[in-house]
Amino acid sequence: MAALVGLRACLSSALQLSTSGLLHSSLRVCYVPLSRRGFAAEAKKVFARDKPHVNIGTIGHVDHGKTTLTAAITKVLAEAGGARFKKYEDIDNAPEEKARGITINASHVEYATANRHYSHTDCPGHADYVKNMITGTAQLDGCILVVAATDGQMPQTREHLLLARQIGVEHVVVFINKADAVEDREMLELVELEIRELLTEFGYDGENTPVITGSALCALENKNPELGVNSVLKLLEVVDNYVPLPKRELDKPFLMPIEAIYSIPGRGTVVTGTLERGVIKKGDECEFVGHNRSFKSVVTGVEMFHQSLERAEAGDNLGALVRGLKREDVRRGMVMSKPGSIQPHQKVQAQVYVLSKEEGGRHKPFVSNFMPVMFSLTWDMACKVTLPTDKEMVMPGEDTSLILTLRQPMVLEKGQRFTLRDGNKTIGTGLVTETLPLNAEDETNWG
Amino acid sequence: MALYCVLRSIRTDFSKVCLSQNVQSVHTSSALLSAEKALLLKLRKSTGYTFINCKKALEKFDNDIKQAESWLHEQAQKEGWSKASRLEGRRAKEGLIGQLVGDRAAVMVEVNCETDFVARNEKFQQLVRDVALAAMAHHRVKTEGRSGYVKSLLSAEELSRLSVPAGGSLSDQLALTIGRLGENVALKRAVFLGVPADWHIGSYVHGPVSGQADVAMGRYGALVVFQGGQGSMEILGRKLGQHVVGEAPLSLGNMEDLPCGDSETRLLAQSFLLDPSRTVGQYLTEQGARVLDFIRFQCGEQSSNEEE
Repeated sequence: MAALVGLRACLSSALQLSTSGLLHSSLRVCYVPLSRRGFAAEAKKVFARDKPHVNIGTIGHVDHGKTTLTAAITKVLAEAGGARFKKYEDIDNAPEEKARGITINASHVEYATANRHYSHTDCPGHADYVKNMITGTAQLDGCILVVAATDGQMPQTREHLLLARQIGVEHVVVFINKADAVEDREMLELVELEIRELLTEFGYDGENTPVITGSALCALENKNPELGVNSVLKLLEVVDNYVPLPKRELDKPFLMPIEAIYSIPGRGTVVTGTLERGVIKKGDECEFVGHNRSFKSVVTGVEMFHQSLERAEAGDNLGALVRGLKREDVRRGMVMSKPGSIQPHQKVQAQVYVLSKEEGGRHKPFVSNFMPVMFSLTWDMACKVTLPTDKEMVMPGEDTSLILTLRQPMVLEKGQRFTLRDGNKTIGTGLVTETLPLNAEDETNWG
Repeated sequence: MALYCVLRSIRTDFSKVCLSQNVQSVHTSSALLSAEKALLLKLRKSTGYTFINCKKALEKFDNDIKQAESWLHEQAQKEGWSKASRLEGRRAKEGLIGQLVGDRAAVMVEVNCETDFVARNEKFQQLVRDVALAAMAHHRVKTEGRSGYVKSLLSAEELSRLSVPAGGSLSDQLALTIGRLGENVALKRAVFLGVPADWHIGSYVHGPVSGQADVAMGRYGALVVFQGGQGSMEILGRKLGQHVVGEAPLSLGNMEDLPCGDSETRLLAQSFLLDPSRTVGQYLTEQGARVLDFIRFQCGEQSSNEEE
C-alpha cells in the first residue's frame, strides 16, 4: 500500500508539472476508484498483456518435420526478438508432465509474432492429445498440419486429422515441408491437391485452407531464404490471420458458482464465490440456478476484500449482495449467472480420462451402472455411468466417451470440466461434449 | 529520335514474339505433364507409396504403370529393411494384442510400435492379423493328431521365422510395414493353446480398436481354459476373460482360498468383476465350471519390466 501511495504522489506531482490544473483534477477522479480496489487490481493492470494468447499445435506423419518446423519457428522469431531459439533436441524429448495429477507427454514452446503470443504444443501420442483436451492444459485453438512434399500424405496424416476432429480443433493450416528436396513444381501442386482432398474428406474446408510450401530445414540452416525463412514467416502470418482468437472470458455472460452464503444483519444476504467468466456490475440482473431451483433477482452491491466496487471481472473472488434474497433460498453448488445464459441438465455425454493406478486412480475397471460422484464448479452430485454400446468396461489409464445421468439436474454445459470420484479416490476427469434430454427410462432407473 | 522510336518498336515486337513462344512452350509442356500427372496420381492412389518414389518409378519405366508398380513393391521391401535396421533400437511399447480363436485352439499375439497413432493404422492391424494367422497355421501343423492340452509360447525370433500364407516370412512383412509407417515395429510374443474335446477356451480382448474380421485386437487380451459350465460357453468364457483382463490375477489359486481384499492376485479368490458380491470360485461353482488355466497379455507390459 505504501508503494501505491508513493506512486500516486509521484504521479500527481508529475502531472501538476506538466498539465493544467483542470486536466489534473479530472484525471484524479478516474484513478481514485481504481486505487481503492486494492493491490489485486494494480497487479492485474501489470499483467494486462499487450498481445492476445493463442494455443496451437503441430500434427503430421513421423519424420515429416514437425519438430524441425517448431525449431525453425523459434529460430526465425528469435531473430525478431519474439522467441528463444530451441534446438531440435530440446523439443524432441517431450517430458512427462503432470496436469491435475494426470501424466501427459508434451513439449511446450512459447513464442510471439508481431500480433500474438503463442504457446505451441507437441505431443507424441494420440492418448496424450486426448488427455490434454480433457484436462484442458492447453486447449488447441488451431493446428499446423505438416506434410512432407517428398511423401505426400502418409498413413498417420489421416490418424492425426481424425484426432484433430476428435479433440475439436476447427482451424488447420497446412505446411508442405521439405520442398527443397523436390525440384518439380508440379509435384508440389499434386501434394497440395491431395492434402486439400484429404482435409475435405475429414470435414474441414479443404478448398480454403491456407497451404504454405517451404522447408523448415532451410530455415534452420539459413539456406535458400525463399523456401526457408520466408516460408516460415509466411506460415506465421497465415496462422495469425486464419486461426481466430479464442473468445475471452470477460466477453462471455457472467457466471459465479456459489461457494458460501452469509446473511449480514441490516443489509441482507451475500453470496460469495469466484467469478468464472464475464463481468458483474452493481445493478445487474442475475439468476440463481441449480439444486432444482431457479429464480431471478438483482445484484445490489459487489464487494471484494470488504470494499465495495463498481465491477468485478472473471477471476475475482467476490461477494455479491442480492436484493430480497433469503439465506435459505440458495445453497452452495448453485450458480449466479446472467439470466438465461445457463441451464441445469441431468444427462450429458462426456469424454473422460480414467486415471491409472500410478496416477492415484483405481486399479480395477468399471462397467455400466457404476455410480461415482461428479464434482464440478462448486457442486457435487451422484451420477450413473452408461458406457457406449461398443464397450463393456473401461480400464484405468484409458480415455472413453460416457453418458452420465445425474440424480438431480445441476448446472452443466458443453465444454464444462468435472471430476469423478468414488469413495476417497479420484477416478477420472472429463469434459462435457453434449447435453442430452432425459428419457422415460432414465427417470424410472433412479428409484 | 525517330530512329530510336523505330528501334524500340522493333524491340517490343521481338519481345512479344519471344513471349508468345514462351507461352506456347509452357502450354505444350503442361499438356504433356498433365498426362504424366494423371499417371502419377493414379499410381500414388493405387499403391500409397510416396510421391517421390512413384515419380521415380514412372521415369524409370517410361510411364509403364505395371512395371512401375512392381518396382515400387521391390523398392518398398528394400527400403523397409534399411529403415528397420535404422529404427531397431527405438523403444516400442505401444501396439496391439491380436487374438484368433478357432476350433478348440486359440492364439494370442503381441506386436509393438512406438506411438498409439500407428496402432490405429490399418496397415499395422493387417500385420497383426498376419502374425496371428501365421502362428495359428504353424501350430496346426505341429500339433496335428495330438489331442491333449497344448500350451506353447513363441519368442520374437521364432515368430519372425514363420512364413506368411501369402508367401515370404513374417520378418519380410515386418520390414514392409516399418517402411510404410516409418516407426519401429516389433513382433513381441505369441501363445498357442490347444485343448481336448470337452474343454473350452474363453476369450476377451479389450481396447479401442475394432480389429479385423476374424482377428480381435486391443490393448489387453485374455484366454481362459475351462471345463463344464451351463448355457452359452462363449458368453461364460467371455465373462471370465473380462475378469482376467480387469483384475489381472497372477495365479489360479485353490477353491478353498480365503479372499484377502482388493490386492488379491489368485483368480479363484478374487471377487468377480461383474458381480462383486461373489468370488470367482463361487461363481464358477454356480455355473458348474472349472477354470484350468488362463493367460493375460497387456500391451507393452514386458518392456516396462525389462527396464526396471
